[in-house]
Amino acid sequence: MNARPTDGHSTDGQNKNQQAQERAVYRPMVDILDTAGDVVLLADLPGVDESHLDLTLDKNVLTIRGAVQQPSLEGYMPVRMEYGIGDFERVFTISDDVDRDRIEATVKDGVLQLTLPKTAHSARRKINVVAR
Amino acid sequence: MRIRELVPWRSHEHEKGQLSRRNEADPFINLQTEMSRLFASFFEGLGGSFGKDGDLSQLATPKVDVAETNDAVHVTAELPGIKEEDVEVTLADGNLVIRGEKKAEKEEKQKNYYRVERSYGSFRRSIPLPAEVDDQKVDASFKDGVLDIVLGKKQTSSSPAGKKIPVRRQD
Repeated sequence: MNARPTDGHSTDGQNKNQQAQERAVYRPMVDILDTAGDVVLLADLPGVDESHLDLTLDKNVLTIRGAVQQPSLEGYMPVRMEYGIGDFERVFTISDDVDRDRIEATVKDGVLQLTLPKTAHSARRKINVVAR
Repeated sequence: MRIRELVPWRSHEHEKGQLSRRNEADPFINLQTEMSRLFASFFEGLGGSFGKDGDLSQLATPKVDVAETNDAVHVTAELPGIKEEDVEVTLADGNLVIRGEKKAEKEEKQKNYYRVERSYGSFRRSIPLPAEVDDQKVDASFKDGVLDIVLGKKQTSSSPAGKKIPVRRQD
């Protein structure tokens, strides 16, 4: 299930993932909303903290990647498993009207908030963020 | 706009072999959600206040994993975006009940939604525990949107086969 593209980045989280080849990759649920000056993207990433979150912007392609930090359940017998333990990954295409230098990301309680400010001249135009 | 984008259940699910985290992916949770919605709308139609226990139109049923060892039960629940003061955990009749509310961010009034996949609203989840637990040995913690509860199992007395009940002879 490791369909992750190999790129030049290598963080601690990713090294761990490469060791654990069997880890699944999940697509996080997102809300995308347009406020007056910004486009805001909210993504549910339960179990991911700021040090295991990897955001990359390559031209128009924004990639969110999070490595889930779960308490070890060694020695435990599973009784009921509704969510699999794995990592999160999702790719978005953003339009040129986003001011790349002022993108802000915060993570709190397992939710990533990504603020994509509109460039001055595009503040009145619609900005497309397309989920892929 | 391509016509495919108007069809919600075909909107690029399972792209790149990734798994969907939507509740709809699990047929049982989906069924439970649908039944809850049906009941809620039925009672609403009666004009009663039966369905008022939470906003069932926007169910945010959390997903739960349960695991156990010989002496402990471990429950984890995914609750992204929920503050610890909005979560309540209780133990009753061998069930662990998690309830809470996920509030929508309301800081800005002027906004348009392009995409809404995350769910908001009240939820209540009752999880039957696989063993009797000692309510004095419960530890719940909350980190990065994951609720983590460890419950110590009740230590059975010396005879594991069950408690022996003496039978008295009645004169």
